Amino acid sequence: MVALGALMTGLATDAAAADSHFARTVQPFLKEHCFECHDNEVQKGDLNLTALAPEFRAPPAMVTWAKVLDRLESGEMPPKKKPRPPQAAAGEVTRWLNDNLEAAVRERQQREGRVTLRRLNRVEYQNTIHDLLGIEVNVMELLPEDGIAHGFDKIDTALTLSPVQMEKYLEAADLALDTALGVGPRPQVVRERFGGTNFLASWATQSSRILPDGSLVLFNSGYSPTELRRFRSPAPGRYRVRVSASAFQSTQPVTLRVYAGNFNPGGKTKLSGHYDMPPNKSAVIEFTERLDGRGETFKLAPYGTITWQNQGATHTGPGLAVQWIEIEGPLEAQQWPPATRRQLLGNVSLDRGTLADAQTVLRQFAPRAFRRPVSDADIEPFVKLVQERLTRGVPFGDAVRVGLKAILVSPRFLMLDEQPGKLDDYALAARLSYFLWSAAPDDALLAAAAKKELSRPDALRAQVERMLKHPKARAFTENFTGQWLGLRNIEFTTPDARLYPEFDELLQVSMVKETHAFFDEILRQDLSLLNFIQSDFAMLNERLAKHYGIPGVTGLEMRRVPLRPEWHRGGVLAHASVLKVTANGTTTSPVLRGVWVLDRIIGRPAPPPPPNVPAVEPDIRGAKSIRDQLARHREVETCASCHARIDPIGFALENYDVIGAWRERYRISPERGQRAEYIMIAAGGRDHRVAIGPAVSATDALPDGRRFRNLEELKKLLLDDKDAIARGLTEKLLTYATGHGLEFTDQRVVREIATRVAGKSYGFRTLIHEIVQCETFQNK
Amino acid sequence: MNRRTFLRAAGVSLALPLLDSIAPLRAAGATPIRRTVCLCTTLGIHGENLFPAKPGRDYALTPYLEPLKELRNDFTLFSGVSHPEVDGGHSSEACFLTAAPHPGASSFRNTISLDQLLLEKLPPATRFNSLVLSTGNGGAGLSYSRSGGMVPPEWRPSLVFRQLFVNGTPREVAEQTRRMQDGQSIMDTVSAEAKRLQGRVSATDRERLDEYFTTVREVEHRLKQAEDWAKRPKPQVRAQPPTDVQNAADFVGRTRLMFDLIQLALETDSTRVITLKIQGHNSVPPGLNVTQDWHNLSHHGKDPEKLAQLRVIELEQMKLLAGFLAKLKSAKEGGATLLDHTMVLYGANLGNASSHDTRNMPALLAGGGFRHGQYIAFDDKNNTPLCQLYVSMLQRLGIETDSFASGKGRIKGLELV
Repeated sequence: MVALGALMTGLATDAAAADSHFARTVQPFLKEHCFECHDNEVQKGDLNLTALAPEFRAPPAMVTWAKVLDRLESGEMPPKKKPRPPQAAAGEVTRWLNDNLEAAVRERQQREGRVTLRRLNRVEYQNTIHDLLGIEVNVMELLPEDGIAHGFDKIDTALTLSPVQMEKYLEAADLALDTALGVGPRPQVVRERFGGTNFLASWATQSSRILPDGSLVLFNSGYSPTELRRFRSPAPGRYRVRVSASAFQSTQPVTLRVYAGNFNPGGKTKLSGHYDMPPNKSAVIEFTERLDGRGETFKLAPYGTITWQNQGATHTGPGLAVQWIEIEGPLEAQQWPPATRRQLLGNVSLDRGTLADAQTVLRQFAPRAFRRPVSDADIEPFVKLVQERLTRGVPFGDAVRVGLKAILVSPRFLMLDEQPGKLDDYALAARLSYFLWSAAPDDALLAAAAKKELSRPDALRAQVERMLKHPKARAFTENFTGQWLGLRNIEFTTPDARLYPEFDELLQVSMVKETHAFFDEILRQDLSLLNFIQSDFAMLNERLAKHYGIPGVTGLEMRRVPLRPEWHRGGVLAHASVLKVTANGTTTSPVLRGVWVLDRIIGRPAPPPPPNVPAVEPDIRGAKSIRDQLARHREVETCASCHARIDPIGFALENYDVIGAWRERYRISPERGQRAEYIMIAAGGRDHRVAIGPAVSATDALPDGRRFRNLEELKKLLLDDKDAIARGLTEKLLTYATGHGLEFTDQRVVREIATRVAGKSYGFRTLIHEIVQCETFQNK
Repeated sequence: MNRRTFLRAAGVSLALPLLDSIAPLRAAGATPIRRTVCLCTTLGIHGENLFPAKPGRDYALTPYLEPLKELRNDFTLFSGVSHPEVDGGHSSEACFLTAAPHPGASSFRNTISLDQLLLEKLPPATRFNSLVLSTGNGGAGLSYSRSGGMVPPEWRPSLVFRQLFVNGTPREVAEQTRRMQDGQSIMDTVSAEAKRLQGRVSATDRERLDEYFTTVREVEHRLKQAEDWAKRPKPQVRAQPPTDVQNAADFVGRTRLMFDLIQLALETDSTRVITLKIQGHNSVPPGLNVTQDWHNLSHHGKDPEKLAQLRVIELEQMKLLAGFLAKLKSAKEGGATLLDHTMVLYGANLGNASSHDTRNMPALLAGGGFRHGQYIAFDDKNNTPLCQLYVSMLQRLGIETDSFASGKGRIKGLELV
């Protein structure tokens, strides 16, 4: 009772009482149930509990105790084969651990805050500086890649500063200010329409055809040098492009691809988009695209037509007739000096401004840069920088630039300024906007902060609604799914073209679009987050539907398609994007996919593999099945403790190949003389012969013995514990939203949020609101 | 031999005041300038084609060692080495020179890389602290700062060449100088800002601001140095400014340009520490009669066709390396060769790329004045920390240390000449 009293009032601070409780209750328990493996001698898993002091305030002891608690609570320890500890005794130990850990963490959080002062990552930096200066220039590529922790690039512990980082910030600020101020002469602005006939290299005309109306028909979807040679961008900037084109020799629309960039061998190019052009009549498409350099241009090519032919005059297959292409830009230079200079300096001229003008400029700029009001004293140092230069006779433009540049590398711009305890309105506004927009608060949000509205739950809720509906919320979809589901790695591997000839660029683009659209649909409609596990719909376009073997979907647009069980889809685990990023282009590994699902979807990551154990060596000759190769994982006891959890989940996904198509047999690369069966895959207007080998078996069982035959059945088993799924996603969101890995005290918050969301049909939009309203989000 | 003749002999002509040109040499005193070059190829090297059957000095050449046969006594090959606890497949690229454990783990934070540690211990008297290079298009290189921040690599040889050897016009120099001076005042101002903030933040945040602080002071110092160097003319070389190889898939062209540039940078003593990441990629390298993309080939799954194509790519890398080492060897410096004064570390973060295995990393050390000419094989089941080799390298430079990351003590079997 003495010890318990101490826990309730003085908690762990009363060290003596805690120690006696430790000696009386906890240590005997550990001795009986844990020391056999985790003592000084054996130290299984590098864990020695005999030497662990009851100390909770700092790692490593704190971390170890948290692990002990986790294993006890989950029932993972003691191992199955050992006698179960009596419930009462185990309960007392876990309660003791819980109380101590919670008290220690809470005490530190109150003093220090949970989140450490962090700098913006480079995505946030770029969005922020774009909004601030009204520019679009690519500053991100100047900055070093950010460190990643807990699966995201916005975590305090990983966003460190280094001299190089700071040098790059100086460079980036220069580029951004040069662009916004419009230094140098006005770039030439182009506005020109090019007829279809005048953009081909002369030697490529054999594969195309000129129509009587002057249209140029392009047939080849493979390599074709059809970039517009008569246009070269005079300067970096945004360009408006309009194209008039139609499908040719086709009753169906023909897809147009547009690329932008430098088309010299190895030059950097990017895909601007795919567009369906109608048969029988021409249609006009319009878009704007940023060109990063001078001398760049655009390229048009059909998709889905014959790969290559050189009988353009007589070819009878479908093609794409282009009437004209029109280009206008750089749009920024249409007004000069650019509008952004006026935005920054008002009407002050670059060479006749005064110190008073500089003060006005900085006073207007600093609060937006620092995301909160500033006093005169706050901007004094920056004014002084300008003043020193003006006194020395430096022209106004150069002088004021130094003040602006200093603001752009000052700690209050680069870092998120938060005080321990409950966040004030401005800090909350910033946390919210970097969560949902990956950008600084806009004027409306800052105005709400100024009126202290964000402290009111309903007003905060209204802001979240407004922000989610804003186009900037695209950043949430892309940056969160890009990391949670690994979509940023979609280009990391190129599938083996012999095994997967049907893979193409449009498929890859569509894969990512599917997952984005799916996420958006669930978010927009406040659908159940359990849809991420299993859904009765998918978001598809024609290319992806064809890939999945789903009929009746035409066109490039993503749309909601109701699913039938025989199509084997539903939920993100059956998304081609996810299946591709979890494979290596040639083979799939149940181990890697299993680890991935445990971490990303179930929220119970597997520990890292033990050192000195070789990974299974892939073999695509078709002789040895992956199941045989992994059999040892279950036979060897030390492996089984983790792999019984990992491998089965991975096996459930074996029915999906490296590009996410359904398979019942493996595709193989037989050795010379090896007998194999072949199938035909149509791609690029011809059939490809691909060898197939052993049958896939996705049958397996979870560690608790529940069996499944395929992903469909595994998903049902996963949905037996709906709250676990909700907790897993809540953990990811909370980590992303606050920029900090989960701490011990967050477990309770996560459980509470999951419970509340469960009571509201697991609505995903509801979950976002719950995250924003929870104490962890609202405190430093 | 004075520096002027050495540079001439090395194919470099100097057109600058004598005082400037010999300053670095004089600062180094009588002992020769010691240089370090670290190279990592990111998709592994197929061990069966690299490692001889038997260790020792009279090992039989393997297919991949064939191009290096003339240099046999200038390098030591190691097997059975790796970074303990560095796993995580491709993410181990970040750890080739740092050996920080578990790069794939969620709480991973990198540590200082070998090259950056060298710079801390031996602050250079050269125009550039170091060159951090990559044959990829940007991305990450091999170098990481003390706080674990990535040092972004330069990948355009034309830019590096310009920085090293091309003097700006007086107007450009003046503008550059002004920006560096402005930069120093800016650093001064923002460090005062940080100081003001420090008064009202929590203890952990204060550590962050300290980091900001040190960073700003270091940048201020670097800007000052850069401003001083900007006043001095750059060394003139006979080599033509390189034209960048636009095609990222052309690793041969890109690597060759980088090797040429590294040689020039070392010969002119523009820097003494260089890292180069030879970036594997998922496209088909041109000009080698290879039809499948490199990354895919590295996941060969024992397919003989893939292994044959992979061999072409990897053999080409060994030829490039041999060419680079031969050039360093042909450049004379103070009675020895440039290679004798330059440690060249070459290796891969993956031991077996097909299974993403990070054990049994291939590693080779050339030059630097060691007694080379052997193949040292450690246990392939129970690897020796590669960082022991890094300790040997640090000690070679006169840095008094017994450990680096996971390496305690020098690597066995590698002795000085």
